[in-house]
Amino acid sequence: MTDQWTHRLSEYLDGELSATERLQIEEHLGGCPACRETLDELRVVVARAASLEDGAPERDLWPAVAERIGAARPEVEQPAGGRWRRLRLTLTVPQLAAAALALMAVSAGSVWLARPRRPIMQEAAAPPAAGLGVTVSPVAAVEGAYQSAVRDLERVLAEGRGRLDTATVRVLEQNLRIIDAAITECRRALAADPASPYLNAHLAQTMKRKLELLRQASRLVAART
Amino acid sequence: MTLTMTLGLLAALVQAPGEGTDTTIAVRAGTRLEVHNLSGDIIVRTWDRNSVRVQAEHSSRDRVDIGYGGVVLKISASSRRGAPRGVDYIVTVPVAMDLNLSGTYGDISVDGSTGRINIESVQGDVAVRGGRSLVTLHSVGGDVQVSGVRGRLEASSTNGEVTVDDVEGEVYAETTNGDVMLRDIRSDNVSATTVNGDIVYRGTIGDNGQYRLSTHNGDVTMTVPVGTNATVTVSTFSGDFESDFPVTLTGPSRQGKRFSFTIGSGRATLELESFQGSIRLVRP
Repeated sequence: MTDQWTHRLSEYLDGELSATERLQIEEHLGGCPACRETLDELRVVVARAASLEDGAPERDLWPAVAERIGAARPEVEQPAGGRWRRLRLTLTVPQLAAAALALMAVSAGSVWLARPRRPIMQEAAAPPAAGLGVTVSPVAAVEGAYQSAVRDLERVLAEGRGRLDTATVRVLEQNLRIIDAAITECRRALAADPASPYLNAHLAQTMKRKLELLRQASRLVAART
Repeated sequence: MTLTMTLGLLAALVQAPGEGTDTTIAVRAGTRLEVHNLSGDIIVRTWDRNSVRVQAEHSSRDRVDIGYGGVVLKISASSRRGAPRGVDYIVTVPVAMDLNLSGTYGDISVDGSTGRINIESVQGDVAVRGGRSLVTLHSVGGDVQVSGVRGRLEASSTNGEVTVDDVEGEVYAETTNGDVMLRDIRSDNVSATTVNGDIVYRGTIGDNGQYRLSTHNGDVTMTVPVGTNATVTVSTFSGDFESDFPVTLTGPSRQGKRFSFTIGSGRATLELESFQGSIRLVRP
């Protein structure tokens, strides 16, 4: 659910609202649990993205990421030197892919599941698996949120599969297997080359596709309920 | 039977039980059509009248419900006992009418529309000719075939092919298990992705355009017209790269097979990715 303030939350987070707007949004946050949760999610994603390795961006993908969370609106689009510009300067393509995956993982829990999001948020906020003496890929940094969202969505599908016809279930499961095989191959390749921008981005996009398919399956289950 | 509905009132037409339905409803400009069909095909045709003709084949047990309140014309089926067995619709609509069609078991087709179109099918194929402004098509288990869109197109399937012809506007095409074929495309913004299938692009490459074709297990073939200005990034893990014409790498990136090169002034952006398939640049 969104309201007039949802799309201003990122600006609030970055301290870019006027004093009046800041007061207005804080007053709104006091009475809007949905916006408070969205703000928490934004904090998690930005913190996680900021913890990733810096590098020169290959191109600006942030608007697409922002669009996924409904943050990109023409009237607030990329002010010169503003928030988006700063993000663009600090995120690489794989990092952005990972951030997009994280956003989807979070939204998978919040939008498509009628259940609390706390487990997802707790995992998303957990520190990355660093300090092990190995290079941690950007995707690995959001693995927890992803796995949690996948588990929840798979549970919804498992509980609701009886409401779908066998042909649809077969199609969904066949395609989930195809995606899983691609993810496995990608992980194997990435293990040998964890810093590869292509492999990181490709893995994140394939994982995101799995989330999309699971979300779609959840929608079908909900439609037949 | 032709009925003129009083605008502003939600009315429901319930066709008396029989072997079929054939009803024409006058509609005002701007009316949107919504059809939901659990089982059976939906065929939408167009004409230049301000009315909607609903022809439906169904059993005597089922009935077609039509509701019109002046903004949305809703068509669905119901049954005296349980779910309707199946209804095949032919709906003839004003050419510019916006369409929102959904079905579970059955194909959905639209021919000749100049309105916005949204179609969702679970187990059927989707075929569209026409559409303006925004056309969104999706099937879980079927193929998606579309041509003649003028505007933004989002065409996706899960377990089918996506075939797009003669489109002018942004194109987003996606499937998981199937090929993506894009032909005669005139666009500055194209994205085509699949996990298990080939991708073919044939169309313009605008100087300010962005084109991204990505597959995991399949080939990518991009047609590059003479005179193209583009920076091309090719990414693969274990696939090959071929080009009909000579290219000079401008900065081979690290890690395996990921490299870039420039064609002409390099203004457009082409990202071509295949994890384990061939990537080919060909001339028209």
